[in-house]
Amino acid sequence: MNDTDKLSHRLALLEGVEIAPADLEAIVKEIEDNLRVVAELEEFAKDTPWISQQTQPAGKKA
Amino acid sequence: MASSEILELSLTDLSWLIAGRKLSSSEAVAAALARLEKLEPKLNAFITVLGEQARAEAKKADEEIGRGNYRGALRGVPVTIKDMFDTKGVRTTGGSKILRDWIPNTDSALVERLHAAGAIIIGKTNLDEFGHGGTSTLSHFGPVHNPWNIERIAGGSSGGSAAAVASGIGPISYGTETGSSVRRPASYCGIVGFKPTFGIISRHGSFRGAWSQDHVGLFARTVKDIALGLDPVAGFDARDPASVQQDTPAYTSRLEASVKGMRVGVLKKFLDGVDPAVRAAFDAAIKIFASEGGEIIDLDVPEISYAAMTSMLTSSAESAGINRRWFRERYHDFVPHVARGLAVGMAITASEYLTAQRARHRIRVAVGAAYEKVDIIAAPTTARVAPPLSEGVKGNGDDARHATYNQSNLLRFPSMLGLPGCSLPCGINPEGLPIGIQLIGAWFADQTVLNAAAAYQSATDWHTRRPAIANAMGA
Repeated sequence: MNDTDKLSHRLALLEGVEIAPADLEAIVKEIEDNLRVVAELEEFAKDTPWISQQTQPAGKKA
Repeated sequence: MASSEILELSLTDLSWLIAGRKLSSSEAVAAALARLEKLEPKLNAFITVLGEQARAEAKKADEEIGRGNYRGALRGVPVTIKDMFDTKGVRTTGGSKILRDWIPNTDSALVERLHAAGAIIIGKTNLDEFGHGGTSTLSHFGPVHNPWNIERIAGGSSGGSAAAVASGIGPISYGTETGSSVRRPASYCGIVGFKPTFGIISRHGSFRGAWSQDHVGLFARTVKDIALGLDPVAGFDARDPASVQQDTPAYTSRLEASVKGMRVGVLKKFLDGVDPAVRAAFDAAIKIFASEGGEIIDLDVPEISYAAMTSMLTSSAESAGINRRWFRERYHDFVPHVARGLAVGMAITASEYLTAQRARHRIRVAVGAAYEKVDIIAAPTTARVAPPLSEGVKGNGDDARHATYNQSNLLRFPSMLGLPGCSLPCGINPEGLPIGIQLIGAWFADQTVLNAAAAYQSATDWHTRRPAIANAMGA
């Protein structure tokens, strides 16, 4: 799949909202930035457990 | 007492005078409203002003106090709140066109507690739309102007609250923070901004920016005022899933202005790129901590380099989730920059969000380990002073998408991890703009942070400086 198609898949997540071309261009750029960020975070967190808890310690009491 | 003198009073002193009936709530509220009226054309810090209601409540407060019934430190005190908090019978907009005419029929937890404490809400402050921003220029109701220089931003998203307190329009204001929305505007406006540990203050009835990072916070001129304003509003609330069980808040009675023996961590590798005047003020502040008995410890937590990216990805996805319906139905009614941000968030997949949570956990573990070695972490709140309004949203200089952009990391990691953080003024730059230092504590070490901040204020006088606009305008 080429990059254009990959991006189309992403933009499909915008649920068909009509967005002006100039705005779409800015959004696409940020989406591309985020893809790079995710790649960096994947590498950073690769040995870290998957979690689903809140960020506080488990026995939370002030 | 002249209005200008009333508006110079700290919350501590104002409360004492009201309690002792040396000053009436009506006088205090009238003074605050008069200053609001004079400065508002320049600041645009408010969306809704509750003049008539506030005067009526002040009159009742005076009658109640006259009968010997005094509720506590906030009784009869004029306060302001960010327009993120549901207020029964009062327009609550979130800074958005979407809710510009919405009137809730219930109070948020914050407003409930302020009413119970007898505070007089005089207005609802301006903000970045639904908290999505760091400048307070992204409001349907226009940008907030910084009282120190009205051509500068107040910071966001709680800019209206910060501008109000800095201008003397009420001694205390309540805001929210998801990324930096209490600490940054506090720094830009030269006042104290405190964000407690995640879950200390209930968020029930306030709009969500990003549910796993949203906090309620406070603005005041002194740390003691922060403690006084925190006690009545902190406490468990079952309606907020993040709310924590806690002892009855007693931050004021436990406030001790001391850093003797406190280990103060400085993340030196994260100070690159900070404006020279900000760096000089920060270094001077560290020397104060050392001279007051704190132990300064060089700290390195390289994992914090990923905090801004992790926090932003998390916020972006959560905000999109929260606003999904309006995104579909009202996209064009959002402020354009906010709308674009939501679109980016919509394009984040679930697995990418979960990857960010793994990264968040790694950072959390590393920061937790750091707090075995230090009691607080000190850092400049922002890399530069308040930028010009003309620079718009780019003015903050944040770049959350590069691991090396340290300042964004220092701003974002406390709210991402739910740590208590306090920004307080530590200098004025050559252009006459405030500089802030932030103190960040471990989870539930809110008292430690407040004590350290109080110690700094006891040894310095930056918190007594006022913007010229407040002095020139008088009452």
